[in-house]
Amino acid sequence: MGKFITIGERIHCISPAIRAAMESKDPEPILKRAKEQLDAGAVYLDVNIGPAEKTGEDLMKWAVTLLQEHFDNVPLCLDTANKKAIAAGISVYNRAKGKPIVNSADAGDRISYLALAAENDAICISLCSKSGVPADNDERMAYCQEMLEYGTERGMEPEDLWFDPLCLVIKGMQDKQAEMLEFVRQLSDMGFNSVCGLSNVSNGMPKTVRPIMDSVMLAMAMQCGLTSAIVNPCDLRIMETVKSADIILNKTLYADSYLEL
Amino acid sequence: MALKGLDIFKLTPKTNCKECGIPTCMAFAMKVAQGALPIEKCPHMSADALATLGEATAPPMKSVTIGAGDAAYKLGGETVLFRHDKAFISQNLYAVNITPQNADEAIPELLKIDYERISERMYVELINVAYGGDKAAFLETVKKALAAGRTLILEVGDPAAAREALELAKDQKPLLNGANPSNYAEMNALATEFGVVLGLSAPDLDGLYDLTAELEKLGNKNLVLDVGASSIKDAFANAVQIRRAALKDSDRTFGYPSLVNAAKLAPGDLNMQTALASLFTLKYGSIIVMEKMGYAQALPLYGLRQNIYTDPQKPMRVEPGIYPLNGADENALCATTVDFALTYFIVSGEIERSGIPVNLLISDAGGYSVLTAWAAGKLSASSISRFFKETAVDDKIKNRVLIIPGKVAVLKGEIEESLPDWKIVVAPNEAMGIVKFLKDMAS
Amino acid sequence: MPFKRTPQQFAASIKEVTIGTGDKAVTLGGENVFPLYSFDAPISNPPKVGVEFSDTGPDRSVPGIAAFYAGADSLGDVAKRACDMPGADFVSLVLESADPNGDDMPIEECVALCREVAEAVSLPLVIQGSKNVEKDAKLFEKVAEALQGKNVLLMSAREDNHKAIAVAAVMAYGQKIGAESSVDINLAKQLNVLVSQLGIGGENVVMNLGTAAAGYGFEYVASTMDRVRGAALAQNDNMLQMPAITPVAGDAWSVKESVAPEEDFPEWGPAEQRGVSMEISTAASVLAAGANAVILRHPDSVAAVSKLVSELM
Repeated sequence: MGKFITIGERIHCISPAIRAAMESKDPEPILKRAKEQLDAGAVYLDVNIGPAEKTGEDLMKWAVTLLQEHFDNVPLCLDTANKKAIAAGISVYNRAKGKPIVNSADAGDRISYLALAAENDAICISLCSKSGVPADNDERMAYCQEMLEYGTERGMEPEDLWFDPLCLVIKGMQDKQAEMLEFVRQLSDMGFNSVCGLSNVSNGMPKTVRPIMDSVMLAMAMQCGLTSAIVNPCDLRIMETVKSADIILNKTLYADSYLEL
Repeated sequence: MALKGLDIFKLTPKTNCKECGIPTCMAFAMKVAQGALPIEKCPHMSADALATLGEATAPPMKSVTIGAGDAAYKLGGETVLFRHDKAFISQNLYAVNITPQNADEAIPELLKIDYERISERMYVELINVAYGGDKAAFLETVKKALAAGRTLILEVGDPAAAREALELAKDQKPLLNGANPSNYAEMNALATEFGVVLGLSAPDLDGLYDLTAELEKLGNKNLVLDVGASSIKDAFANAVQIRRAALKDSDRTFGYPSLVNAAKLAPGDLNMQTALASLFTLKYGSIIVMEKMGYAQALPLYGLRQNIYTDPQKPMRVEPGIYPLNGADENALCATTVDFALTYFIVSGEIERSGIPVNLLISDAGGYSVLTAWAAGKLSASSISRFFKETAVDDKIKNRVLIIPGKVAVLKGEIEESLPDWKIVVAPNEAMGIVKFLKDMAS
Repeated sequence: MPFKRTPQQFAASIKEVTIGTGDKAVTLGGENVFPLYSFDAPISNPPKVGVEFSDTGPDRSVPGIAAFYAGADSLGDVAKRACDMPGADFVSLVLESADPNGDDMPIEECVALCREVAEAVSLPLVIQGSKNVEKDAKLFEKVAEALQGKNVLLMSAREDNHKAIAVAAVMAYGQKIGAESSVDINLAKQLNVLVSQLGIGGENVVMNLGTAAAGYGFEYVASTMDRVRGAALAQNDNMLQMPAITPVAGDAWSVKESVAPEEDFPEWGPAEQRGVSMEISTAASVLAAGANAVILRHPDSVAAVSKLVSELM
């Protein structure tokens, strides 16, 4: 297992500035956010273009080309409910720095995203849920198995299914956190790659608390074997946590200046 | 090697029938991988699947034993490709090849290599006798080699000659190195009959792989793989790929110790053989055959081997005691340091470079470096005075000057108290300063 | 079932560093496989062998070395002769006399010697310092200036003097530097980080990871080098992807096995062959662990080690 992989989440159509830039195909705001995240140490960048039912294919191609041309073929995570847009994005994607990630499949309505990933030799984020939140880890494992079989039947390698245990908001589901971490451990024992959307866990908490909660959750999940996460790389505490945990878990060699790398 | 749950899951029926008591086959596979459930809990595992699992959980590299009695050596059983990942287990053996022409001089020569280095006896463990077509000469050489009391490698592919040599050497359990794709059935029968390890060789790596699989099919798993002598490049490529296939890629067919014949790879070129023996000591030679092993070759090679096969968790230690350097006698200065081998070598090396006679006193400091030993309480005024008493230093040495490591200058006062007859002098902090320090002291 | 080969060809590779100029320039590094694994993928720049001599001349107490340099009196002649040693890819001058705890040769004199050597050589030049951190910082600055355009490799920049040496040698005068740590992998990485933070790219830096003679704690050397290569290739750690150079001769020719006179250990035989074997054994071992270049003294060692390398490619 290599170093932890961070996926920067800040190119997201939910942000007004990004949405406006995508509507008018204005490169600047998007490039600015990309640069900030890469400077902060993000490995992959998530590109969420929203549902984009009409213009999605064209928009995703534009975004992929824009980002990869400016940032040395930065690897990307293509994030939209429009499957054709993902396929279009991959058609112009350069793999020199890593396979594209399809975001995302689940064991329910979105299982066909795995077929899309298989056809395009892509990684696929695979949410261990069908509809709503899984009741327990047995249910998560059943979804995991369903998706694994679906994906491998279509030619995917198991390591290209990045299973998401579904992080749950702590405030309100405090009693579910230990079980979720246990599931990360199980995925790791099975030899799977895993990913989680980290920002969920601290939803509803005060701004001052959120980075702390997110960082500690991330460190605990990494200890359980989590291999990647979708995060805000501009959160310094998160990135310091990832770098320190990578050292402690012997994924990268220590040097006094490790935080500056 | 531990199997990942995923590998086990692939062998399950994937039906989620729950007959094992677990909701999904995936969860079942995970529990098996953790050792929480036996695989037999699944009533639907096929015999093939069970066999695959059994093989997958076997050790990646077999260990075989050649020789008998005191001269028995274990080869193989390695689990990692790099010593820092855990440790290398069975240190490689060095052999010298002798011929009917040179046996009378070569055997006494190789027997001269017999010395101790950091508590280990260094000598040529094996003698390689190659069959050159003249059976009588071959058997005569085998007899001479046997008389040397070392374990033999019988390099012979002629079953008739092999049988006679085995009759002579059977009690010493030699390595029978001579099976190839055309004679393996007969050679296997011989190896089995005499209960000896069989060496295999083939023109290339694919041939060797097939041959190994054939021998395994015949039920022989007591094998050594000869990496061949077609070229240095191929020999190295083969040695690495054999070991790597077994340890990294879980290909157990290649899970056997290897034999490298440096004498054949660079005939007449002892310097090249030294280079090769070093290379293969680091990278995956289990037996290395040389044309000759004089002190010039042995000193670096045995030192290298001793280093590489040190368990990274257990640093090498030297025996506590008095080490007279540069011809030191009872009137020479005394210096003390820890029993960590590396520290000992650096310090003794610098003292030797100075040319000043010094008695180096090594006490039991737990095998740690100076500062670590001090911090752990293993190097203290009381540990040193205890050593002085137990070793009766005061009776053995007349000089009363003791040099202590600069890094534990803080111990000076306490040592002066516990060894009141001695003058305590503090050495420089770094070994690099020792030569100048000693010369200044002596002048 | 045929043997399934699974070559370890990595996506990452060792950076290339070129020293010297013209058609005799040598390039270290560039491979994307473990050391000497030319069967996994071609190694475009095989490891190189350098010939070492001191500013006081070669070690003429060793008969084979004395014979090789016979008649070469000035340091320039020695340097020229060293370039003709069969198997030599580059030469290396050790500024031994500069050591303040030794002869403490003034910097101007050292620079003059470097200039004499640089003028005489036809092969790339690697200059080793006095081992004194303060002296080397000042010394290398002047040497770098004097040899501008020669693209020499200046060993060694250490933790305490890397900044002065790196800035002067690389940024001001376009030379290459050797980042020296002593068998300490974290320091090796840190030094590369510090140098890169000065704005110096990996194509200017060679690592000297420290060494020991075979038998003298060599396990630390081997494991440090193994881990550096593992991090560089398998973990794609770009702060450890610089090629490595190992000056083998100094250690190999100073241990007891190499220097003890035959009178003291009659069974050991002549000292010279012991030294040669020690030098060869140590060199072959560091090459197996990942050195892209070794520095040796004896003609027999240079011949054997360069032959070993060419046989393995």
